[in-house]
Amino acid sequence: MGTAIVKFHNVTKTYRSKDQTVTALRNINLEIKRGEIFGIIGLSGAGKSTLLRSINRLEIPQSGSIIVGDTEMTTLTGKNLRLARRKIGMIFQHFNLLSSRTVYGNIAFPLEVAGTPPAEIKKRVLELAELVGLSDKLNNYPAQLSGGQKQRVGIARALANHPEILLCDEATSALDPQTTHSILQLLRDVNRRLGLTIILITHEIQVIKEICDSVAVIKNGQIIECGPVVQLFANPRTEIAREFIRTATHDKIPENLQTLIHSNPGEGNLVRIFFQGEAAKEPVITSLIRRFNLDVNILYAKLDFIQDTPFGSLIVDLNGTDDNVQTAMAYLQELGCRIEVLNGVESTTLQSAD
Amino acid sequence: MVGVSLVIATLLGLPLGVLLVITGPGHIKPHPAIHSTLSIIVNIGRSLPFIILLVAIVPFTRLVVGTSIGTLGAIVPLTVSAIPFFARLVETTLLEVDSGIIEAAQAIGATTWQIIGKVLIPEAKSGLVLGITNCAVSLISYSAMAGAVGGGGLGDLAIRYGYQRFQPDVMLATVIVLVILVQGIQSLGDWMARKLNHK
Ligand SMILES: Nc1ncnc2c1ncn2[C@@H]1O[C@H](COP(=O)(O)OP(=O)(O)O)[C@@H](O)[C@H]1O
Ligand SMILES: [Mg+2]
Repeated sequence: MGTAIVKFHNVTKTYRSKDQTVTALRNINLEIKRGEIFGIIGLSGAGKSTLLRSINRLEIPQSGSIIVGDTEMTTLTGKNLRLARRKIGMIFQHFNLLSSRTVYGNIAFPLEVAGTPPAEIKKRVLELAELVGLSDKLNNYPAQLSGGQKQRVGIARALANHPEILLCDEATSALDPQTTHSILQLLRDVNRRLGLTIILITHEIQVIKEICDSVAVIKNGQIIECGPVVQLFANPRTEIAREFIRTATHDKIPENLQTLIHSNPGEGNLVRIFFQGEAAKEPVITSLIRRFNLDVNILYAKLDFIQDTPFGSLIVDLNGTDDNVQTAMAYLQELGCRIEVLNGVESTTLQSAD
Repeated sequence: MVGVSLVIATLLGLPLGVLLVITGPGHIKPHPAIHSTLSIIVNIGRSLPFIILLVAIVPFTRLVVGTSIGTLGAIVPLTVSAIPFFARLVETTLLEVDSGIIEAAQAIGATTWQIIGKVLIPEAKSGLVLGITNCAVSLISYSAMAGAVGGGGLGDLAIRYGYQRFQPDVMLATVIVLVILVQGIQSLGDWMARKLNHK
């Protein structure tokens, strides 16, 4: 990790047809670091595919620059474009395998295209089939494979020419949760083993949570939030990001608890503490009790992991002097927790999420 | 007669069909001028009834094979009418190749030739075989028409003996042979297409 491998600078793309124009990308600026798994999340129609596909120039932006490695992609044509594309693998939601070729033939395809000698093709295909766990399916046609197996073929095909970057266009969106998990693990595995940079787009936050290092949230063709995944989860700044995270963490307050909160406005100090990483390892509750002399009643707790980082939220009822409650909350924020006041304490001093 | 026409029509109709497809809007080598010119030529070829084409291109037929009658004279108009027919079939078949697969090939860095040779045609081969079968069946029926103007073959036989000399047994025999021939070709084509289809 470290240096940027893909750089977007002021990229804009508009689709024009007879009766309408759609601006799919608005002034995109983005840097993707070498070796990371970079996720782009957004709702349908947000511009994810357009963004991804402009990296290997399947879409041509009207303006701006896209640099891959040290090649400016937007102006490449002919042979140079084909050579550059060989260094960028791609997998698709619907796999896009050649139905007329076996697994072997599909993996061999990019090697044939690159003019690799037959003996070497054979060696490489066997190697790749082994990597994706399909050594026993080499003579099967795609129609005889499950969705997960098809995507494995897709991955093997995409890796054939030793690319530095792998683009994934909703690669798991057509798969069931279990298969999704196994494909994501495979992607994680090749990312680590081969040092491959992976750029994936998805509308499922689960995918981001499971394997991405960094994430960009895209809406109406604009990047509205971008940074490390852990940071997004801990401190989402936009409503859409919050909504995604709520689905990912199944973080809905149970209904009876909600009724309790709403039926007792002004009683006690009901707050929700979101914590992550280091803060999650601190004995927060103990501190609240000992240092601030509060009674802490835990009403709800949820702990989850984003890859290796613990992450979660607590709903607690804090009882003590107003002063103590205020300082306790300042202390929590200092630790990096985000606090949402459900009722009680004056929320003016605190950032409220909703 | 039908065989020779079929081979030539396939060899010329295939590239024509491929060119029609790839120069079309949104395809791998969009080229509106070439596309619409080819499309108009193909349409003209397709819109002329065979019997008119047969007569209309007599000078051309003479130029190519030296005669406009007999088997040799029939091959030229048969082929000329089959080329646009087959080209359209090729076009329809190739357009059915999933655009995602073509895109995957582009993303892999394939050249236009590689996409044609390794993607479009192999992916469509089952449909292409059906197209050739279709073309063969049409050629057989056209060849009977060619027979009417002295092109030889089954049509000639049916007209001369069955119709002009009123020999119903010859007529019946010709019809039976034709039916069996067409059935046989169609079955063979269907069988091959099934063999080639891995979808
Ligand atoms: N080829 C196209 N022609 C016209 N509009 C398009 C085309 N491709 C995408 N769009 C439009 O651009 C916007 C972004 O599309 P896309 O990048 O596919 O979004 P996403 O992948 O996030 O669903 C959408 O409004 C879509 O309708
Ligand atoms: Mg999309």
